[in-house]
Order: sequence, then structure tokens, then C-alpha cells
Amino acid sequence: MRTFVKYLLVVMVLFVFIGPMIWVGLNSFKPVSELLATSPTFFPKHFTFEHYRNLFKRINFLGYYRNSFIVSVVTATITAIAGAFAAYSVYRCDYPGRGFLFRFFISSYVFPKVLILVPLYIMFSRMNIIDSPLALVLAHVMLTAPFSVWILRAFFETVPKEIEEAALIDGANRVQTVFKIFIPLAAPGIAAIWINAFLMSWSEYLFASTLVITDANKTLPVGMAYFLQEYAIEWGTMMAGSVLIAIPPIIGFAIAGKYFVAGLTAGGIK
Amino acid sequence: MKHFREKLLKDPVFGLILVMPLLIWVAATLIYPVFSAVWLSFVKMRYIGVPAKPAGFSNFLKILADDEFWDTCIRTGWWVAINVILQVWGSIIVALILNQDFKGKNIVRNWIILPWVLPTIVLAIVWKWILDPTHGVVNYILLKMGTVGMPIEFLSSPKWAMPTVILLNSWRWIPYFSIVVLAALQTVPRDLYEAAAMDGASSWAKFWNITIPTIYPMLKVVTLNSFLWSANIFDTIWLLTRGGPLGHTTTLPVYIYSKAFRDFRFSEAAATSILMFLGLLVFVVVYLRLLFREEGATG
Repeated sequence: MRTFVKYLLVVMVLFVFIGPMIWVGLNSFKPVSELLATSPTFFPKHFTFEHYRNLFKRINFLGYYRNSFIVSVVTATITAIAGAFAAYSVYRCDYPGRGFLFRFFISSYVFPKVLILVPLYIMFSRMNIIDSPLALVLAHVMLTAPFSVWILRAFFETVPKEIEEAALIDGANRVQTVFKIFIPLAAPGIAAIWINAFLMSWSEYLFASTLVITDANKTLPVGMAYFLQEYAIEWGTMMAGSVLIAIPPIIGFAIAGKYFVAGLTAGGIK
Repeated sequence: MKHFREKLLKDPVFGLILVMPLLIWVAATLIYPVFSAVWLSFVKMRYIGVPAKPAGFSNFLKILADDEFWDTCIRTGWWVAINVILQVWGSIIVALILNQDFKGKNIVRNWIILPWVLPTIVLAIVWKWILDPTHGVVNYILLKMGTVGMPIEFLSSPKWAMPTVILLNSWRWIPYFSIVVLAALQTVPRDLYEAAAMDGASSWAKFWNITIPTIYPMLKVVTLNSFLWSANIFDTIWLLTRGGPLGHTTTLPVYIYSKAFRDFRFSEAAATSILMFLGLLVFVVVYLRLLFREEGATG
């Protein structure tokens, strides 16, 4: 009885938090007639790829996908490099003010994003880079990198200082110890911040919706949001789109999920 | 030259070189815009490129005299309060369920965070479909069971929109916080429970006297994060309702966004965002003072 209740509760949690996404995933393969039928089905009775075809035929989905992918990969890569260097500096180097820098980075997320949005929009307009991937990367790294310094703390603590000191005594210089010893040992953490930054940039809507104007430059969230506000929503196409949008985050999470969760929880424990 | 290189590798310089790229980046895209927002709130600027005129406190006075602003503040207060309560208690419940020993627990604990990992646009599509008045499964079930006679317009009726968006936002954040609470639950010593069981303590008593005190420090952090993140939520609301119907789901970030990019009143938007930031700051400082004082830590 106890076991039954236990599994019932777990199944309920999964039903509430995971179920909706799985159902929508299955829906993306149902023909329109089945989707809009009066009694809904769980598994598709008939299997079709028409919604996926429509996605590429009727809207600029491929363009949105490419834009999102470029912005997210560039953002993640810059975040991983700049974040790892900054984290090494505030956790491992010794100079006055590094404690301040650490607090500065971790407290930067208290600024409401809308506070920065308007001035950033004006600044990018003046620089003539509005409506370009560059503007988005500039904004996205600002959103992801300070948080990554925080996540990295837990990973950097797992690399003993003695290893670095031993390498220094063996005649390696600091650049060599950082690149040949420290970075490889902290690699899981750096992978985790890369994926975290990718996810944040891939999902980001607020900045992407204001800094990008033309359809050709839109990222996935902005491009798809336009079709979600139409009066007659093409549900099949939207659900096929959401499956394809969900794939990179799911793959990323499958690869680095455990490091990612470890970083989040360790950061939270403080 | 060699001497110079050695100096570069020593600490003040080496550390500063490493931190510089990120520091410059954040200064240019975060700190400068924050100051720029302050400046913007004291001038009148309607069009980008046209010189701004000094405006003193007029933007602030205009906002403070606007009933819509105060309605939005009250609405934001409810939004934040209910979200925090739902998220903190929801994540404790989910964490307790996941903390049990069951088959596949590692996979479930890892993937439960999926609603938080997926982009907001995906969740907006998923829930707009499920809650759709004509095609949605929730209304189908409610109608079949005879609970309602007419389909409920979950996202477009003034009565239902706010509760629905609050629930969906909490639904998204509960898995995230439950993972954090779960990590804290795993630090509760098992022998404490065993000792309490020997003394004949009920599960309820064990929960209040052992579990909650042990995870309390973590709960304080979770509450603070839940508060800050809820107050700043924009995309979930915007993608589900655009702040509507008739402003019934307009919280402060949505209000500021509409002011800036629908009405093009940049200066008033900046003034409102500064008021919001100061308001949040007061709450956070009071919260830290009240809850973290006993430890002497200020976060």
C-alpha cells in the first residue's frame, strides 16, 4: 500500500510537470482532423509529417532556427571563455578588490531586465547595430556571463590548489597552469556554463523582441510568438515548431544535465 | 622583456587581465545602461536622435499621479505574493515526493526540471493549446464532467486570466526550486528520523521538527530568489496574454515594456523601471535584515 501511494505520487508529479510536453509532442504528428476533433486522443491514430512540412514551407522557420542557433552558440562560447577567465581571477588570484568583483558579478542579476532594456535599445540604435545578431549577442552575454561566474564557484572548489602549486614549482608558468591543468580539470563546470548560456540565449524573448525588427533577423521565440497571437492559430504547425525548438535544450541537458543541476544546487547552498 | 613578461604573470596584473574582458563587457552593457536609465528618467525624450530636454522630476510625478501605475503595483504585489507561496510550498511538496526511494529516481530527479529548461515560447504554445476554449483538453474534460456549462476562457477572461498565468508561472518554477530543496533534504541526517520514529513521533511532527529546520537556510534563499524572479517575469505573461485582457495580467515589467515599446514614452518607462528597482531593493534589504541578521550574514 505504501509503495502504491509512493509510485502514485511520483506518477502524478510526472503527469503534471512532464505530461503536457509529451502530449504536445505526440500531437505534432496528428493530422488536423484528429487535432481539432471533438474528442482528443493521446497517441496519434494517423501519423503525419504535414505540420513539419508546413513549418518550412509556410513560415521562415529555418531562418529563425539559424538565427537562434548562431546567436546562442556565439553567446555560449563567449560566456564560457570570459566567464571561466573571470571566475579563475576572482576565485584563484590574489589582488585587492577581487571580493568586490565577485559580489558585483553575482549581484548583477538584481537589476530588473526592463531597467536595462530601454537604455540598451537607445544605445544600440545610436550605434546603428539594432536589428543585428551582434546586438543580441552583446545583450545575451550580459545576461548569462555573471550568473556563470556564480555557477563556476562550486566546480572550481573541486580543483585542489595544490595541483596548481605543484605545476608552478615544476617550472610551468601561470598561463600554462591555467590552460594545461586548471581548465581541463574544471572542464565539466565550463561545459555546464556553456550549456546554461546556450539555453538562456535560446529561450530569451524580452531583448530579442525589441532589439530585432525585421523578420529575416528574428530568433525562434520572437518569430513563433508572432504566430501565437493570431486569431486563428495553426495549432499543428505551432506544436511541430515547439518540438523542434525543444530538441537542442533537451540534447544539451541530456549531455550536461547532471553537472548543470550540480552547479545550480551548489550555487544555491552558498 | 622577460622581466616584463614575468611581471604580467604575477598576481595583481594576471588576475586583472583575466577578469578584464567580462568586466568591460558588463560595464558597457549593464552598468552604463543603469546610469543611462537614471539620466533618461530626468529628461524628456520622445524620439531617438532628437536631443532630450531636461525634465526634472516631471516623469516621476506623472507616473505617480497615474492610477494605472498604482493598480499595476497592487497587481504586481498579488502576483509576487501568490507566486512565492505556490513556488515555495509546491517545491517542498515535489521535493519530498522525489526524495523517496523509488525505481528510476535518478532519471526523474534529473528530468523533472524540464519545464524550466524549455524556452518560454514552447510552454506558451503547450498551455495555450491545452487551455484553448474550443480545442483544449481541459475544457473538454470540464464540459464532459458537467462542471461547467460553457467553456472557460482561461487566458482571455478578466476573471480567469490572472489566476491561470500565476499557476502556469509557478508550474514552471516549482521543478527548478524542488531540485534545490531536494539537495537540502538530502543533507537531513537519517538517524534523526530514526531516533524520532523510536520516540513515536508522527510523520507530521518529524516534518515540522526535523525537516523544516534543517532545510530552513535553503528555504530562505529559495524564497528570496522566487521573489526576485517572480517580480521580474515578463516573457511568460507577455507570451500568454500580452498583459491582457484589459490589463488584468499587466505586472510592472509588462507595464514598463508597453510604455516604452507600444507608447514610445521612453523617459516615463525609465522612470517607472527605476521606481520598480527601488521598490524591490527596499523589499530585499528588509528581507535580508529580518531573516539573515541572526547569522550576521547579509547575503
